[in-house]
Amino acid sequence: MSFIKKKDMVAMLLAGGQGSRLGVLTKDVAKPAVPFGGKYRIIDFPLSNCINSDIDTIGVLTQYQPMELNAYIGNGQPWDLDRMYGGARILPPYVRGKEGEWYKGTANAIYQNIPYLEQYSPNYVIILSGDHVYKMNYRWMLDHHIKKDADCTIAVIEVPIEEASRFGVMNTNENLRITEFEEKPAEPKSNLASMGVYIFNWPTLKEYLIRDEEDPKSSKDFGKNVIPAMLTDSKRLYAYKYLGYWKDVGTIESLWEANMDLLKEKVSLELYDPRWKIYARNGNLPPQYIGRHANMKESHVSEGCSIEGTVENSIIFPNVTIKKGAVVRHSVVMSSTTVEENAEVHYAIIAEGVTIGEGAGIGTELDEAAIPAISVVADRVSISSGTRIEAGTVVDRDL
Amino acid sequence: MSYMGLIYSYSDKENLRELTSTRALAALSIGGKYRIIDFVLSNFVNSGIFEVSVIARTNYHSLIEHLGSGAEWDMSRKRGGLRVLTPFANKEATDSAHIYRGTIDALSNHLHSIKKSMAEFVVLTGSRILYTMDYRDMIRAHQDTGADVTVAYTNHMNGTNRVPQGSPMIHMDEEKQIREVEIVNEEQEEREGSWCIGVCVIRKTLLESLIADAMSHQRYDLYTDILQKLSPALKVYGYEYSGHLLEISTISTYMEANKAMLDPEFSAKVFQKTVYTKVKDSVPARYGPECYVENSMIADGCQIMGTVINSVISRGVHIDKGAIVKDSIIMQDTEIMDHAVVEHSILDKDVIIRDGREVIGHPSYPIVLSKMSIV
Repeated sequence: MSFIKKKDMVAMLLAGGQGSRLGVLTKDVAKPAVPFGGKYRIIDFPLSNCINSDIDTIGVLTQYQPMELNAYIGNGQPWDLDRMYGGARILPPYVRGKEGEWYKGTANAIYQNIPYLEQYSPNYVIILSGDHVYKMNYRWMLDHHIKKDADCTIAVIEVPIEEASRFGVMNTNENLRITEFEEKPAEPKSNLASMGVYIFNWPTLKEYLIRDEEDPKSSKDFGKNVIPAMLTDSKRLYAYKYLGYWKDVGTIESLWEANMDLLKEKVSLELYDPRWKIYARNGNLPPQYIGRHANMKESHVSEGCSIEGTVENSIIFPNVTIKKGAVVRHSVVMSSTTVEENAEVHYAIIAEGVTIGEGAGIGTELDEAAIPAISVVADRVSISSGTRIEAGTVVDRDL
Repeated sequence: MSYMGLIYSYSDKENLRELTSTRALAALSIGGKYRIIDFVLSNFVNSGIFEVSVIARTNYHSLIEHLGSGAEWDMSRKRGGLRVLTPFANKEATDSAHIYRGTIDALSNHLHSIKKSMAEFVVLTGSRILYTMDYRDMIRAHQDTGADVTVAYTNHMNGTNRVPQGSPMIHMDEEKQIREVEIVNEEQEEREGSWCIGVCVIRKTLLESLIADAMSHQRYDLYTDILQKLSPALKVYGYEYSGHLLEISTISTYMEANKAMLDPEFSAKVFQKTVYTKVKDSVPARYGPECYVENSMIADGCQIMGTVINSVISRGVHIDKGAIVKDSIIMQDTEIMDHAVVEHSILDKDVIIRDGREVIGHPSYPIVLSKMSIV
């Protein structure tokens, strides 16, 4: 490129995660492409947060099962990220000279894309992950970063101390300056967990990435290597406390819970927000049709659905058919699935393109207080008429 | 072989009262999330025709806002693409309806733009009668018969003999060459025979010379002045369309067209091919703990807390607790508050029906509330 179009801040979205704890749901897709909330995918959240925060240049780093994710992001148009300068750009690992090279860690993934970032000579780089569901104004975080004159700012959220050992944990002084960073400590000293959202001054980050790359012992990870190295050098690292809803939807239970959270009367994650829309790729389907025998209660239903049965406390994705006498309760039903007549689905996540045969049953009705065992049906699975499936089962082939 | 589409976004034969007093017919909401133009444009997209001009006459603001760059119909193109042809100022026009003196005059107004196109054939269509057609089949028939003009006709409206008022009736010989064009203007609903659904195919160069010729003879209407008068001289052929139809010329046909889509079998035909529209990025529809919904079409972004029966509900509508909506069409972002009752009515965009108010029309004469009314 013959000239540089400078960007104040560029986002790098780490979207290569496998999300192995989601089991059959991430068999063929990366975790960021997992459907959520009736019409979204997890990656819609960081992408929409970016555009709503006026960040229009985003590198999306893919690695694991990228096909569906690449097709989904396309030219970035649904998020208003089809730009003349900047916009969304998929950054897969590529071959240099004779060597093929995968992304060896989060830091290495950014290291390999230094040339992409240099095109925009940004002042700041924000590192995001495609694994979480939340609405956040990254500009506010940048303001904080600038005010603190920081080299690096890490977004943190308060978690119950007993859960803190699942996260990167920060110890800070009263000014929120980070004194210690521990990745998944056995005995956490604080309840401030890293959200995996970092803002760096780009020249500083570049220097540390190059240095980290030269260290053969490094595992090329932000939490394990880059952040500790900066702390050792007494760089200015600050925490930014985020107070809103944030959920790592990394397990079947948390994915189900986060969906159910949307149905609560006082929603903590309000998606109906004209000033902070979550954008998604659109399927061009007609409005939903609610038939003569339908029974709808406390549910979210998307376009193209045809509902003749009972739907309660559930999230129904586009193009789902629920036939007469069928019952769907406390469940998440993803796109283009059919629930045949008199079938029953309780406390389940049903993936895309599933057929649940006539009179088949998944899970059982529970009283409100009970902790449900969530059943999962993998995509394109067909369950034949009358089959009974115990609560908590994972079905990954036709039954 | 290349084709272009020309769409009339208005009609002289409609009487939709308040619904089209501030917007072009083609910009009228239909089927919950669509505008009429979406069905017309999607026929072109699904026929692989990506050069389309929309002829605007008056109050085309909402039409232009809806269409934008045409990207949502995949028509934001370097070659061809979507264009809106707005009228030039005309000193002689005494009122808005006379901006164009007829369908031919409208084309003559935009002759420059039509001439610039490199397309060989033109598909002309109106917006008052909706159908699903692959124009490539019609163009093929046009070439096979060696016709100068091919006009699409039908023998029945969804199985009935109703003929929309003002639709030209045609009489053909065995070869389907049109021998006579009859314009029926008096109110005569039931009639046997073939009538035009408002689509024709013509070679562009021929259209250009027909326009020039008609204008010099002060003939301004395509059907009465060209097809009717010239049918002995021109080879005008009929092309039968036997699929479903939606007519939007009066309040009652508009109501009927919307309600027809509540029939799953009929709507499967209407939506057999993708119908594209502007994306609004609204959330999925939400159903409350005490809602009751029966035989209704509900678009994204709605919040349904009350009762909805036999109705078509557009995007972003709120129906609050205890409210009842029956046999009605509710357009975008309208709110029906607690315990209000709406029956046999058409509520335009951004209407508010306050707590406990009742808006009850009659099946034969629905109430129409215009944009931003508050009851």
